[in-house]
Amino acid sequence: MKRSLYALFLLFVLTSLVLAACGEATPTQAPVEPTQPPEQTAAPAEPTPVPDIPVATFDGKSLVVPKEECNGDYAGLFQAIEAVDDYTVKFTLCRPDPAFLSKIAFSPFAIYPSEWLERTAADGKRTSEGLEKPIGTGPYKISQWKRGESVNFTAFENYWGEQPFAQTLVIRWQSEAAARLLELQSGTVDGIDNVGPSDFEVVRNDPNLVLVERPALNIFYIGMTNTFKPWDDVRVRKAIAYGIDRQRIVDNFYPAGSEVASHFTPCSIPNGCVGDAWYEFNPEEGRKLLAEAGFPNGFKTKLYYRDVVRGYLPQVANVAQDVQAQLKQNLNIEAEIVVMESGAFIEASTTGKLDGLYFLGWGADYPHITNFLDFHFGASNPQFGNPFPEIYEQLVKGAQVADPKEAEPFYVAANNAIRDLVPMVPVAHGGSGTAYRADVTNPQASPLTNEQFAVSDPGGRDVFVFMQNAEPISLFCADETDGESLRACDQVMEALYGYEVNGTAVVPVLAESCEPNADLTVWTCTLRKGVKFHDGTDFTSADVVATFNMGLNIASPTHAGNTGVWEYYDYLWGLMKKPAK
Amino acid sequence: MTNQTLPPSSNVVRLDAEAVSLDSVSLWRITWRRLFRRKSSLVGLGIILVLILIALTAPWIAPYDPLQVLIGVENVKMRQAPCIHLLGCPKEQPQHLMGIDGNGRDQFSRLLYGTRLSLIVGFSTVTFAIVVGTILGAFGGYFGGWIDNAIMRVMDVLLAFPSLLLAIAIVTVLGPGLINALLAIGIVSIPAYARVVRASVLSIREMDYVSASRALGGNTVQILFGRILPNALTPLIVQGTLGIATAILDAAALSFLGLGAQPPTPEWGSMLGAERNQVFTAPHLVFFPGFAIMLTVLAFNLLGDGLRDALDPRLAHVSK
Repeated sequence: MKRSLYALFLLFVLTSLVLAACGEATPTQAPVEPTQPPEQTAAPAEPTPVPDIPVATFDGKSLVVPKEECNGDYAGLFQAIEAVDDYTVKFTLCRPDPAFLSKIAFSPFAIYPSEWLERTAADGKRTSEGLEKPIGTGPYKISQWKRGESVNFTAFENYWGEQPFAQTLVIRWQSEAAARLLELQSGTVDGIDNVGPSDFEVVRNDPNLVLVERPALNIFYIGMTNTFKPWDDVRVRKAIAYGIDRQRIVDNFYPAGSEVASHFTPCSIPNGCVGDAWYEFNPEEGRKLLAEAGFPNGFKTKLYYRDVVRGYLPQVANVAQDVQAQLKQNLNIEAEIVVMESGAFIEASTTGKLDGLYFLGWGADYPHITNFLDFHFGASNPQFGNPFPEIYEQLVKGAQVADPKEAEPFYVAANNAIRDLVPMVPVAHGGSGTAYRADVTNPQASPLTNEQFAVSDPGGRDVFVFMQNAEPISLFCADETDGESLRACDQVMEALYGYEVNGTAVVPVLAESCEPNADLTVWTCTLRKGVKFHDGTDFTSADVVATFNMGLNIASPTHAGNTGVWEYYDYLWGLMKKPAK
Repeated sequence: MTNQTLPPSSNVVRLDAEAVSLDSVSLWRITWRRLFRRKSSLVGLGIILVLILIALTAPWIAPYDPLQVLIGVENVKMRQAPCIHLLGCPKEQPQHLMGIDGNGRDQFSRLLYGTRLSLIVGFSTVTFAIVVGTILGAFGGYFGGWIDNAIMRVMDVLLAFPSLLLAIAIVTVLGPGLINALLAIGIVSIPAYARVVRASVLSIREMDYVSASRALGGNTVQILFGRILPNALTPLIVQGTLGIATAILDAAALSFLGLGAQPPTPEWGSMLGAERNQVFTAPHLVFFPGFAIMLTVLAFNLLGDGLRDALDPRLAHVSK
């Protein structure tokens, strides 16, 4: 009896396995009737995405998009990038861009040697050498990336500028602020990033350490997607704006140097704070608006965030709980806290898929108002639901005017429209800070988080060790976005322009100068002579064109990165492509 | 060669006296008597009784609502150190025995309410695991054959995973939250109870009184639930008491990782997790929840150990 039961069980298992195997094979083996209408198929196939059409041609010396494409479906900014001679590059734009120099100084647009770009691109992917050991012109070159432990750099002996103080630079990482501080206190590192807000006083009171406060060049906001109820009603969105005591959040959860956001863009950026200031805390007005919108007793919603520390939101969990308490207390809104995985959260929030309130922020990539407003409130961004023409039409006009004074009326209108339509609630511009051992000279806390360690002397020691929040994702920063990767790249790579140490002003680096024509549509850059890459090759204009060809030209074999998204090339310049008809 | 030490003569005398009294004293009374002889068990039992009392009276003894943010209500700061008037804290400052947490709430009140949650977690998960585990173990042990094989192999699979890792996996599938965490901890606790019950049933089903009951025409349900299971309870009680401690610890671990109780629920694990970075700047926020977890788990472990000794006839001569 027992034996027959076993046999029956075994038979059942075998039958299941056979059925499972057949089940998988069936769809591919079954012939598809050509006349069968799609709606009758059991599982209609996903529509195959139609690839974009490349619009650029590259001949080694010039990267050109036909001029007529500028007025067509091509949405990019560059019409041509040409090597006029070995040390002159001409950038021709489809339309004026007053932020050209600020943008071109940004880390992802650093220049690579043309031969290296070709050598490290294979089958649409960057090779491991390309991802881990980039060749640049910077003061340091990569010596070793010990995965999970540190990235080690050595001084580049043929660097065109001043030699670094420390012969060796080590970047390590640790996600916990308390552990970073402990490493600094014990002397195993020379500097740390993002001192915990509650540790500011500890560092200040320690004679062996020095605290450097980073200016608040960022924004933390509470987003709402207007394609979901009840966020489609501007009165509900305004009620949230009135019902949250932002001063309380800044006072309790942000370090010194932080400020309540009067506008989306920080005031230190020209035109950032023009127009009316944000609503004052007024819970009565908030409740009144909610009642008018049909929610006299509040409602239930969700409050999404990712548990990742950023300069704009240093204590995310605490802020979430405080906002949750404020919503309940001030507006009788019950918000359930939902913590999401970072990647999933970014994907869902930036594509407008979150049905509740969500916490997000933005740190300046380059110090220009377009970096804040155009990205978030542009016509093609679905983050807050349906984009608002009242905002983006003003932004388009403002982005074409070079003089901040002349552009001011457009940004006044845009900022006021943001205030009236409340796509989000700007909460705070978060100050943050770095800490160093007291004997480190020129301690830095760059507002753009691109510290240049070559100009800091670690008390005469040969090795400078800096500890940041996380490990770089890759060191091919043309196709990376996270600050940890970019900081590591900044030690190795250089762009035509850069940002001053501890500041936001642009300074020439690989270019001696870039001069625009009268209508800001042509920029001619004269390159620095005598600059060598880490592999010993000379830096010339061909490398500049090849680098932009790699980042922009989707048809180029060198257009091979890590993620393949090319987020900054696409967002700041526009890839050289147009949608297929 | 090892020297075997004979028990002291006084113990022998006590054993005799106990044996004499066995005729007239019930097993439970003997158990209580043995339990009360162990000071550590008494301490454990005492702590548990205090915790139960705190849990029942939390709304009355907690000075603040555990969810109330006191910033703007009182003159307090985030992560303020404990202020106890008796220990010299100025009278004009509001008294907060365990300080203020990172969201401006009274840590003492949250800790008191956390007791409720921890005990509920412990008792409910163990009850769930005992009920399911007992049924599975009893059926496996009584019927034997393929039923036993099937049940025990599933239990073996569950035991093959580290319990906390399995609980994390279950919560990841079900989604974070206290109820899902309870379910996950309950599920991973089942095998221990199923195995204990099965082992007891296997030995008891061969007893004469069970055979007699069968001969008298008792059906399976009567024999299993009327004759066998009541006599298999002893090891289950010990396992259950120790299991509560494990369950509380697992729940705290899940909440620490953000998979259990969600904010702003006052749960010890999540309180600990939320302030883990403040271990140097505000140690009181880490110390008190950590201490509460430790004390509760210790109390259940002490009681469990005591019960195991008290209920084990082989240890009857060891009286302390």
